[in-house]
Amino acid sequence: MKSIRAKIIVFAAVTVAMQCVTSTVAKAQGILGGHVTGNVQFDGQLSKRDTIIGSSDVPEKLLTNARADILYTNGNFSAGLRYEAYLGPMLGFNSQYTGQGIANYFVSYKTQTFAVTAGHFYEQFGSGMTMRAYEDRYLGLDNALRGINVTYRPWKGVTLKGLVGQQRYFWDTKGLVRGMDAEVSFNDIITAWNESKTRFTLGGSFVSKYEEDETILADISGFKLNLPKNVAASSVRMDLNRGGFGLQAEYAFKSQDPSIVNDYIYKNGNALWLSASYSQKGLSANIQAKRVDNMGFKSVRSISGEMLYINYTPSITKQHTYAFLSMYPYATQSTGEMGLQADFMYKFKKESLLGGKYGTDIHINASLITGLDTTVLGGKGTEGYSSSFFGTGETYYGDISLEIAKKLSSKVKLTATYGYVVFNPVVEGHAGDIHHNHVAIADLTWKINRKNVLRFEAEWMGSDSHYDPIVDDKRAGDWIMGLVEYNFTSAWFVSLSDQYAYKDGVGNYYNLSVGYTKGATRLQVGYGKQREGIICIGGVCRNVPASNGLTFSLTTSF
Amino acid sequence: MLAIVSAAAIGCDKIDENNYIVYSGASGEWFDGTPVEDHSQRAFLEKYTGVRCNNCPTADQVIAAASSQYGDKLVVVSIHDSNTLQRPIGDSPDMRCPDGDTWSKALGVFGAGEYPMALVNRKPSGNGWERFNPVGGVSTQIDEALAAAPSVALSLSADRVDASIDINVYIEYLSTLSGKQTVTLLLIEDGIIATQKMPNHSDSAGYQHNHILRDVITDLWGADIDANGQAGTCRKARFSYTAANQEWNLDRCHIIALVSDKESKKVYNSAQCSISAEK
Repeated sequence: MKSIRAKIIVFAAVTVAMQCVTSTVAKAQGILGGHVTGNVQFDGQLSKRDTIIGSSDVPEKLLTNARADILYTNGNFSAGLRYEAYLGPMLGFNSQYTGQGIANYFVSYKTQTFAVTAGHFYEQFGSGMTMRAYEDRYLGLDNALRGINVTYRPWKGVTLKGLVGQQRYFWDTKGLVRGMDAEVSFNDIITAWNESKTRFTLGGSFVSKYEEDETILADISGFKLNLPKNVAASSVRMDLNRGGFGLQAEYAFKSQDPSIVNDYIYKNGNALWLSASYSQKGLSANIQAKRVDNMGFKSVRSISGEMLYINYTPSITKQHTYAFLSMYPYATQSTGEMGLQADFMYKFKKESLLGGKYGTDIHINASLITGLDTTVLGGKGTEGYSSSFFGTGETYYGDISLEIAKKLSSKVKLTATYGYVVFNPVVEGHAGDIHHNHVAIADLTWKINRKNVLRFEAEWMGSDSHYDPIVDDKRAGDWIMGLVEYNFTSAWFVSLSDQYAYKDGVGNYYNLSVGYTKGATRLQVGYGKQREGIICIGGVCRNVPASNGLTFSLTTSF
Repeated sequence: MLAIVSAAAIGCDKIDENNYIVYSGASGEWFDGTPVEDHSQRAFLEKYTGVRCNNCPTADQVIAAASSQYGDKLVVVSIHDSNTLQRPIGDSPDMRCPDGDTWSKALGVFGAGEYPMALVNRKPSGNGWERFNPVGGVSTQIDEALAAAPSVALSLSADRVDASIDINVYIEYLSTLSGKQTVTLLLIEDGIIATQKMPNHSDSAGYQHNHILRDVITDLWGADIDANGQAGTCRKARFSYTAANQEWNLDRCHIIALVSDKESKKVYNSAQCSISAEK
């Protein structure tokens, strides 16, 4: 932010230089033959104090998150920048975002065999267990790397990647990350396998970070930690498919990495992820298993929080969309967890016994996540603990849901869902009793005509949790919810909902939203109360504080 | 693929199990010292508090008033342990400190589970330490601590040098002490804005938290003082420290030094100083 002008000058200079190169390499496209695209998002919030739900007055009155992405493309060449403004950040977004400026800029040149990006870029190796630089604006998370990213495909079926850069940390960059990845599709490089129904791909990655030494005291008087300056993570992965069957696996390893994430222990990290699936028309089944042991990998060892993670641990719990099923989302525990998930979908055909006139869809999903079975060997400055590979520790999270979707007539569709959720508050970093929640949902959509759709949603949650003012978890208790949504003229919608804790809980959270969509532009205004809680996307979470007031959002693209 | 395997083999530093920890100098380099100019007896008040504790702001007011009354004779630290009331509200800064948590558990605060709670000079009482609720006032305990004749005088200075802080502690034994004594250094941050539950049960998003314990620089219960405890002994110790968390704002930090009895943890005397600007 301090050097916005310098960034613009550098960006302009590099863009012009790259333009000269591209116009030389690909003169047929011409220097001015490019086009500009982009998108804009503006979110605002006004919130006032409400002692019942725990919301506070906002000193600035109006909080805004705004961003504009501009992309210039000319043949193989592209360049882009993103301007962000958090004045001040909306509730739940880290206050270190406060400010405005060019948060992301890059130039890129890409051909069939070669691609290079200079500036900010996002990248992922395999499932991300060694390297995932990504952005999720709804989590307020941006782990972009600023540096150089190169991809080279020397032969068909072989992809090599290399990168070096520093990670974004709000308005700064930190750390030094280097990585490479190779992936080989054997069906492409072995002629005899070209037409085989069996497809096999093998990949591997290596990522390393460098940090200078620093003084972190050991628990023993007069001693400090002897810190590794270079920490590496590597992985191997495979992808095997035949017909409707698929099998994917990845194993990752991380060298000694004492950090604030693992309380500065020296144990090596490792993770294993497996996925087996089968699909055919009207049916799909998938089983995933995961074991993660000390795989938190940050570019700066002593900074806590959600930023600066180099890697990502894939989530194997279902991303629920209904309010009460997603009330207690599961945050992936990179320090250690074991998990299993099974997912099954089936469509009963039309005119069958269970399918009826229009067919019936069922979707069953179940997952169970536990801690590891560990033996403590010591604290900071030791190996930390040992773990049994197949042993499990305490239950962190479990859920099972059954969803049945059926058209009752040509205009009315009903989706009925039952879910059971077991949640251990230890995954949110605090002690407490394990919650057991039953959830029932009815979702009815009535397509009145081509331009008018009415939707009703009713939810109930029965929980053995009780609101305790000391713990102050406002999700506790038994809840009911109703929602009515009307989409009319294909452009407007209005939605009214209310969540009410009728037993052992506190709060009455009503919301009214009105939206208008025209082309690529969408405007939405809402008024109501937001409960304090946690939202998770892909196992990565952020706190959402309580709010009471007006929200509005404008998005458009061009 | 071969290149990746090779890189994995050479691309990381492996620390041998016997060398996970190395001598740090956190026990201090010790030298002969000179007499300490200021022989004041000070009261060290440690307050255990929490952002979800609605009575804690009242204790803050009581302690702020005492600070005005006693001036530099009162040394204050505010500690957030890992109990339930200390969990940050929303996305407010996390002020919980693992070292403070260990103290809280050892001194019986965590187990009692009552906040706010305070101790002055870690005065032994029975098999534990004298703890009290500061909401009702702190003058009685402070006056008692200040009335004692000082057995140790100390002063200190702290200078930022690049990313680290050089701390010099000067200790003079004013009377002969038996047993072993330790010096403990604390990093304290003021002016942290974090949401706080207020006495009327509302949340105050702009609440300013002062005297927050960020880190214990020395060993948790102090570095052994390299002295025989005889009256008249003067020692100087030099410590070098780098903040363990880059999110702490050193411009708002200061250092506290305590001289304590190694066994009973009783604090003989204390002092504090600001951290001078980077040289």
